[in-house]
Amino acid sequence: MMRLARIALGVSVALVLAYLMLPLLIIAPISFSGARFLSFPPPSFSLRWYQEFFGNPAWMQATRVSLSVGLSTVVLATPLGVAAAYAIANARNRLMRAVHVALMLPLLVPIIILAIGVFFVYAKLGLVATLPGLVLANVMLGLPYVVISVVAGLQTFDRTQEMVARSLGMNRLRSFMAVTLPQIKASVVAGAIFAFISAMDETIIALFVSGGQYQTLTKRMFTALRDEIDPTIAAISSLLTAASFVLVLLAMRGRQRAAASSD
Amino acid sequence: MANKQLTIFAVVLSALLPSLPASAGEQITFVSQGGAYQKAQTIAILDPTANKLGITINQDSAPDAWPIMRSQVASGKPTWDVVDTPTGNCIRGGEQGLVEKLDFDKLPNAAAMPPEYRNPYSVAYEFYSSVIGYSQKKYPDPASAPQSWKDFWDVKAYPGRRALRNHPFATLEAALMADGVAPDKLYPLDVERALRKLDEIKPHITVWWTSGAQSAQLLNDGEVDMIMAWNGRISALAKEGAKVAYTYNQGILQSTSLCILKGAPNRATALKFLDQAVDPVHQANLPLQIDYGPANPKAFDTNVIPAARVKELPSAPENASRQALMSYAWWSSAEGEAAEKRWLSFMQK
Amino acid sequence: MLRLPDPSRRHRRREQALMFLLAAPALAVILALVVLPVGWLMGQSFTDGGLTLAHYRRIFGEDIYWRSFAQTFRIAGIVTVLALVLGYPVAYAASQLRRPWNVLILALVVLPFWTSVLVRAYAWLVLLQRTGVVNQALDRLGLVDEPLALIHNELGTIIATVHILLPFMIIPLTATMQNIPTDLLRAGASLGGSPLHLFLRIFLPLSVPGILAGSTLVFVLTLGFYITPELLGGGKVTMVSMLVSRNVELYNQWGAASAVGVVLLVGVLAIFAIVARAIPLDRILGQQ
Repeated sequence: MMRLARIALGVSVALVLAYLMLPLLIIAPISFSGARFLSFPPPSFSLRWYQEFFGNPAWMQATRVSLSVGLSTVVLATPLGVAAAYAIANARNRLMRAVHVALMLPLLVPIIILAIGVFFVYAKLGLVATLPGLVLANVMLGLPYVVISVVAGLQTFDRTQEMVARSLGMNRLRSFMAVTLPQIKASVVAGAIFAFISAMDETIIALFVSGGQYQTLTKRMFTALRDEIDPTIAAISSLLTAASFVLVLLAMRGRQRAAASSD
Repeated sequence: MANKQLTIFAVVLSALLPSLPASAGEQITFVSQGGAYQKAQTIAILDPTANKLGITINQDSAPDAWPIMRSQVASGKPTWDVVDTPTGNCIRGGEQGLVEKLDFDKLPNAAAMPPEYRNPYSVAYEFYSSVIGYSQKKYPDPASAPQSWKDFWDVKAYPGRRALRNHPFATLEAALMADGVAPDKLYPLDVERALRKLDEIKPHITVWWTSGAQSAQLLNDGEVDMIMAWNGRISALAKEGAKVAYTYNQGILQSTSLCILKGAPNRATALKFLDQAVDPVHQANLPLQIDYGPANPKAFDTNVIPAARVKELPSAPENASRQALMSYAWWSSAEGEAAEKRWLSFMQK
Repeated sequence: MLRLPDPSRRHRRREQALMFLLAAPALAVILALVVLPVGWLMGQSFTDGGLTLAHYRRIFGEDIYWRSFAQTFRIAGIVTVLALVLGYPVAYAASQLRRPWNVLILALVVLPFWTSVLVRAYAWLVLLQRTGVVNQALDRLGLVDEPLALIHNELGTIIATVHILLPFMIIPLTATMQNIPTDLLRAGASLGGSPLHLFLRIFLPLSVPGILAGSTLVFVLTLGFYITPELLGGGKVTMVSMLVSRNVELYNQWGAASAVGVVLLVGVLAIFAIVARAIPLDRILGQQ
């Protein structure tokens, strides 16, 4: 009876995971397809979509825009989010609980409402189709991820360690940097990665707010799909996925090396 | 160690910074609908004009320019100069103060065009048609393929999956023609009659498409067997070897026009550009790149377009006579705007 | 009880102020880019030249808005139930298994995030079309005579939406399940409880906070979905966010779109208010 239940569980988990993986598995092959429309299995092999992407200045510009927005978002959202998460984890009063909920708002408010609202505020301030405007909007979207991740990481962190460091004479900031931060590094990195991915993949606000020469990759992909539905987007997506993998691997390798060298 | 990392980071970041625009002499921002159409324009009209006038033409694209035109002018600081958009948008734009009045003294080419192709706010730029397209795999013999909207509506004689556009433009006209109205007696449109006719076919519509790319993909992938789509999309598929075809019979001849946004940053240059865009030779170049027709009739006199090609174009006389000419005046009127709003409830039912 | 001396209270007050200051920059971003714009949106929804309820009257009067809200909530409900049914076993496995299995499962669950939502939607198109991968396979296996209509309708929208939101159900569920102490279950077993009994009476109830958290998240996110129903619905699915953007296109001012947006927002807030009675809001969002 237990055996049967366990097999049933294993099968259902495998099936659900297969369902999750299925669309991802066909994207890379389609990116190498020789056919002009999206078809699977691809009838022939071709690199033209990658060539199409790299050879097109508009795509390259959009990639630069997206990457700068993504990086700037992480650079801004991470410290802001870590500080806020630290505050939330340490102060348990009603005010901080309200702050906690407020910081989750970008996840809860339907994105189309955020997009329209931000667009019109930006229109008044002249921030439409500008890089700072894009970055700020993505910082707003990325903050919840950093906060959620770091708050969770601080749960398992023993605060007395920090108090010990402070009692030994370190000021607050130094004790945070020396004692707390190294131990919650994994959560900070996880939050930062999610903030980065969210900025890279963000489509709806970009549709309203980016424009002119500061168009993001996602906006270009969206408008390109209205012009031609072809495997270029599969190529772009495969490249981004591969790049993210490399990033994460580098980050993990860096952590391992840091852990090894600190022994 | 930290310094080295910082330098690398700075170098990488600066390489990633988007390139600043080349500070050129005169420039304009020109907006069309993107895709193969805009690429064709670039070769046929935009590059020659840029060279001739010595200006830089920055391009942007929007499948539906109207909401962006509105918000740009509302912001007080439009970034677009010239917009190539369905003629109705230019007409509405003029009525609502979104578009500059054109100074035809400065536009010799435009002034020389027939009066029905221009109005105080815009000049016709290009013609295209909404036509009946079908799969030759399903209907290998043209005689057995749908040739009229009545055929399209006849699910018994012409079984197969169908797609229409999720928009009332041309769709209402097609429904009326399916109900027996003659192509030249369509306007003013009897919207209720058209929607009732559409109710008949609605259960048999597999997809209501929203983009030209989607219409092409549906027909190409065999998701539908017949479709209302733009002629350029279908002929592009056929050229690549897809087994699809279309007919100009009962097609709806539509046009896009050029207009200049009110408060455009480069108004003077935009005017110069506009006149070149409707220059007969430039106009004649367009059909060499894509299956859409020039708006300037003088283009047909330039001998740039081969006779065989002329036959394929939507605005060629023998094709135009079989089609219904869309009335943008009606679509920009109050009834037209009401019909657009009515469309939402029709789709939701 | 100890009476705390004054300096300590002052110190505590200073501490709280410092904490608030730390969170202030992030809060400022939220105030500027969420509260301000949404507030403006609300203001716009009551404007049409002057102060008016015209937009709301239209929303509550015209059929299409009711229908759209009904369809949106219905789809959100179906998606949530499906995500729960599909996600629960995976979360269970991820929380109970040892390394490397639990890491592997979670890695696979998070993997789709690396791929753009747009591209995932088009991948589903390729899979579910008439001539798509699934129908081709069904045809070759001889299971169907006619290709199934798996896309360009509500079904396709639901399949793709569940796919995109499943991780948002699995992760909170896993987090909650990981905190269910195994000795409780062991104690129950030693008292003679059958595995099924243990699961139903001990494990399942303890996993309810996770169920609530995941379900709320998935439900609310589905309500705001725009791209997937637009691309895969074939024109037959009109979710509320699509209505918002259509209103932007059709009506002259932002008022119409804003009103629809406000009604949606109120709906979302109402859901959170209801759920928050069962579990406090910050527990849904990660704090244990």
